[in-house]
Amino acid sequence: MSEEKKEYNKPLPEFRPETKPFWEAAREHRLVIPRSRETGEFFFYPRALSPGGDMSDDIEWVESEGRGKVWTFSIHHMGPSKAYKGEPPYVVALIEMEEGVKMMSNVVDVDPKDVSIGMDVQVCFDDVTDEVTLPKFKPAG
Amino acid sequence: MSENLPGIQETRELLKKKKIVIAGVGETEQGKIPDKSSFHFLSEASKLAIEDAGIKKDDVDGLVTAFSLVEHTFMHCTTFADYFGMNPRFFSSVAVGGATAVWMVAEAAMAIASGQSEVVLCVRGDNTLSGISSSGMLALIREMCHAEFEFPYGLTTPGGYALAAQRYLHDWGARREHLAAVAVTMRKHAADKENAMNKDPLSIEDVMGSRVIAEPLTKYDCSIISDGGAAFIVTTEDKAKELGITNNLAYLWGMGQGYSHQYLTTLENLDQIYNAVERSGQKAFNTAGIEPRDVDIAFLYDCFTITVLLELEGLGFVPKGEGGAFALEGRMEIGKDLPVNTHGGLLSQAHLGAMHHVVEATLQLRGDAGARQVEDPEVAVVHGNGGIVSAHSTVVLGNQPIN
Repeated sequence: MSEEKKEYNKPLPEFRPETKPFWEAAREHRLVIPRSRETGEFFFYPRALSPGGDMSDDIEWVESEGRGKVWTFSIHHMGPSKAYKGEPPYVVALIEMEEGVKMMSNVVDVDPKDVSIGMDVQVCFDDVTDEVTLPKFKPAG
Repeated sequence: MSENLPGIQETRELLKKKKIVIAGVGETEQGKIPDKSSFHFLSEASKLAIEDAGIKKDDVDGLVTAFSLVEHTFMHCTTFADYFGMNPRFFSSVAVGGATAVWMVAEAAMAIASGQSEVVLCVRGDNTLSGISSSGMLALIREMCHAEFEFPYGLTTPGGYALAAQRYLHDWGARREHLAAVAVTMRKHAADKENAMNKDPLSIEDVMGSRVIAEPLTKYDCSIISDGGAAFIVTTEDKAKELGITNNLAYLWGMGQGYSHQYLTTLENLDQIYNAVERSGQKAFNTAGIEPRDVDIAFLYDCFTITVLLELEGLGFVPKGEGGAFALEGRMEIGKDLPVNTHGGLLSQAHLGAMHHVVEATLQLRGDAGARQVEDPEVAVVHGNGGIVSAHSTVVLGNQPIN
């Protein structure tokens, strides 16, 4: 791992038992989305019990193709902490996945000015530390 | 309007019978006041409200507080009871973000209606501007958004509202100046409020040309941060008479809540937000027996300009998508269709959640709003919004008992 990665000072997720499979898959550059086996319905963010009426704890992790569309976005010119100081504006977006759930993420590998609502995006993976890989999105195709 | 919401008739009967009122208000100096602590502001505001009602500290037998962003406490209400030196027989800390102050009115009313208390002091105070650390600011957004699935992407609080704003502009073909117009009206109103932080005139161009925070929102689309306190006393008409309170009273006509989401990740569409605002409003309006057109003045949570448009539309004051035009035409100004936030709101007066919205609604209904006084308002609505347009609460207040 490079020096730069060791100096990552931005907020990192703290895993919970019920979310760990998501982050473990992300480290392997796979995107997995939880689904209730009882109803077959996807949900996101991961919970220990399905948030549907079934309240089922029979959850399966389904591998996603990682395709979605930008539902909304905001180019952030100011970050939440000092770690963002001096960085160029970045895009925070809500992505509507093909599975029907939404994920918050960054849209990367694109000039923020070219991001728009409805834009097709594809997951990519950013290994920000040795332990954490953040799924992000880039323009599809 | 749905007439079938559960609990409406029962609440109406209860409010008719009990005649719950706001009988006193207090607000401390607002601004950058580095030599006062959070609990100092709470105490000072409480004292002012008690004095405004013309009652004694010992007449107060209930306490509703909220939370502090600076001095975190495990049990805020009793921590303050100890500090202020009181022995309430009813106490509660309400914590629903920006919906808190509005729901404090309801919390006090429910305590009174159920015999837990007769005179409830509701108070908030904080030295947010002077006292909050950068780690405190960071903790705030971390706790509001999803710490694991949103926070690591660098979401900020303005950014969360910007996500809603961007979608709003897209869905309705609204323009940037529609948002800016809200800030312009709030600033215009703050000019006549002695205790307001920002009074310099502001134009649409000023707002749009100010520093970009999170597109499409700029600096003046965002509320200010301040130090200060505010309080109000909730009791019944009978008790107010018994205590010899001579203020004109603001009567509680209805209340309601509406929940949309906590995390934007689980938001399906803008309608989910509108529905939460509408449910909150409908419950309050139906209990009051009024329609949106009966409202003379509105106090809408204005943490960001977009919030006001979503509330105007969700509460049914204007059709969906038309809030921006309403704002741009100046129809929220004093003397126009629906005066909104006659005190300047969070965008220009000060930021203490919706405390000042409740205080100003009361002053307006009393006829005590000075240079800002709207002509003979009879019905006021106060709407609070917590989280990122997540949790909503509404109260309807009148200058006469509910009929």
